[in-house]
Amino acid sequence: MISKQPAKRFAAWCAPMLAATVLFTGCSQGAGTSADSLSSNGQGSSTPSAATEISFEAYSNYEKPLTKVVEAFEQQNPNIKVKMNLVPIDQLTETIEIKLSSKAKDLDVMFVDTPLVMNYSVKGYLEPLDSLIPADAKAKWTKSAVETVSYKDELMAAPMNSSSQVLYYNKDIFKKKGIPFPDADKRMTWEEVRDLAKQLTSDNVYGFSFEQVDKAYQLLALSDSLGAKMLSDDGLMSSGYSNSPEAVKAFQFYADLFNKDKVSPKIKKEESIDYFTSGKVAMFVSTNQNMPKIRDSGLNFGVTLHPYFAGQKVATPTGAWNVGISKYSEHKEASAKFIEFLTLGEGAKILFEEGGTLPPQIDLLNSIDTDPKYKQLPDNVIRIAAKESRETAVSRPKTPGYLEWEKNMNKAFEDMKNGADPQKALDDAVNVIDNQLKKYKGVAAN
Amino acid sequence: MKLKKNIGSILLFLLPTLAGLFLFKLYPIFSALVQSLYTTQFFTGEKSFVGLQNYQSLFVDPVFWNSLKVTLVFNLIINPLQIVLAFALAMLLNTKIKRIAFFRGIHFVPVAVSVPTACVLWNIMLSPEQGVVNSILVALGLDPQPFLGSSTQALGSIIAIASWKGVGYWALFLLAGLQEIPGSLLEASSLDGASRWKQFIHVILPLMKRPLTFIVVAVTTANFLLFSPMYILTKGGPENSTNVLMLESFNNAFLYSDMGRSYAIMVILLLITLTVVALQFKWLRTSH
Repeated sequence: MISKQPAKRFAAWCAPMLAATVLFTGCSQGAGTSADSLSSNGQGSSTPSAATEISFEAYSNYEKPLTKVVEAFEQQNPNIKVKMNLVPIDQLTETIEIKLSSKAKDLDVMFVDTPLVMNYSVKGYLEPLDSLIPADAKAKWTKSAVETVSYKDELMAAPMNSSSQVLYYNKDIFKKKGIPFPDADKRMTWEEVRDLAKQLTSDNVYGFSFEQVDKAYQLLALSDSLGAKMLSDDGLMSSGYSNSPEAVKAFQFYADLFNKDKVSPKIKKEESIDYFTSGKVAMFVSTNQNMPKIRDSGLNFGVTLHPYFAGQKVATPTGAWNVGISKYSEHKEASAKFIEFLTLGEGAKILFEEGGTLPPQIDLLNSIDTDPKYKQLPDNVIRIAAKESRETAVSRPKTPGYLEWEKNMNKAFEDMKNGADPQKALDDAVNVIDNQLKKYKGVAAN
Repeated sequence: MKLKKNIGSILLFLLPTLAGLFLFKLYPIFSALVQSLYTTQFFTGEKSFVGLQNYQSLFVDPVFWNSLKVTLVFNLIINPLQIVLAFALAMLLNTKIKRIAFFRGIHFVPVAVSVPTACVLWNIMLSPEQGVVNSILVALGLDPQPFLGSSTQALGSIIAIASWKGVGYWALFLLAGLQEIPGSLLEASSLDGASRWKQFIHVILPLMKRPLTFIVVAVTTANFLLFSPMYILTKGGPENSTNVLMLESFNNAFLYSDMGRSYAIMVILLLITLTVVALQFKWLRTSH
């Protein structure tokens, strides 16, 4: 029938066919990789002149230092291009989850949060690094950092940085109220912080705020100080742990800051640092790597140690970002080169100096202890953080279902901030969590 | 005769649409049905057949039941509300006054804003700390409200935001329908002494059946599948009060890495939507 059509008609139906073809090729390219498009250009991946492009899924807060790292890396490796995809924290784990669960090939290197190393390993998302990076690499990182990124004795990701928290305060607000500055070397108790916050709270000024509002990473310092354990030893049970009396007591303190004492603003994590730098918050518990931002805002600030509950254990948050290679990546060699540069080579130094992050590299950690630069404010923040991470840090719970645990706990924290009863919020959370953790039975935590 | 002769080229012109329909609508539904019977293995990532286990696990899960309840309550309120508001707005926009084109332009502004933008905007305006809405309430001597931060107000706030965004769009279709009504009919009925209300019931409403049917079905499906406001504004909170099935499905797929369960929720949601739409078709056909 088609052959009987005159040429004019043929041309007429060519148009929709063309449209359909475009539609289909458009689809297949979306799921394809940069390698596909490279090879379709006639440049086989074996041709040395063709630049390999690796895709790097990164947390947007690291934009400034990472851009410098990538620039330096590309200069040294002209045949490798790094394409950074910057994603805000709330979407980062989701983006990675969506891409890797569909086995997407357009993701090569990604940020891996420490407690998620196991989760990603169990799901088969990560390429083991042992054969991809030099054997002596492990000796250059701290032992604890290597431990956190290993699963079943294999290195699943490379430690990029670590973190700790310090108490920043706005000197101008303290002066205005006639309250003496906190002692830089004396650790305040949470009770003291709360009482001080009440004095500092007035119209338009809140006495105290956490940086990571509603986030387990930071709030675990409260329950850790009271000795609460969040999960059973096998990491598969939260009931009786995440809602234990100690946990309830710790998070009641959190809820009270907003609802009873009214010293903390009911804001989201994204807003918290702006509240501090714009003078709306007097005391701010925040990570060391926020120092460059706070310093650059021109705020007249001071720093002291992370608080603890009176008569209880000193516990400070820790946790880190690592970088891993996707199992589905088609550029594992190039990716490994970049990871090595970022976590062991020159890139590690750039990240440390530009980003103010706490390094897991032993030689950089040593330089913090010896370099006199880190004795004075504001750079002493990093020395405090380094000390805390060695002496008082408590890591987050170990479980293959960390993602499930964290997301539901964060929700519970948010509900408490908004006035929910902590006991009820935690009871609800553990029900959901335990239901989700069931599927990991048979997947060992260690 | 002519139609028969051209059927080949007509089909060819329809091909891209038909292909799209199959590829993006029918195939995913079929795929979801199949996938909801499987579960993904750890380590290997292989899929294994589990029969109805995903559905069984849902039926004993209180979170799923709560989510189902929220979805139904949400739709019971928002659908009639949006349809009535859209109709009222369309009637207003159909009045013959000066500068009506200006008002028609204004009502379309929320439609032109994308859903995420609208959500972010309203999130700022409804902020309990320094939102403009609370500033107005305080200035009027009222208490500030938590809005999205409260388990009793969050769903209502989302209904308000979604309606602010959606009503103008739906009104557009109804306005087109209203303009089709011949002026002579209305004139004749008013000469016969029909009040405005009677005119509305006996003349306008019967003539609007076709656009109304479309609106009722379109609004229902759109709202059953509404996802972005909950995802952007509340993530299902506070206390799961806005955790609709779409969001629960998303969480299962991309947070809890349980694709089979997520597909099972989608299939259930699809069945509910189909049932409701089928009932609506039935009612709208028998009435009037």
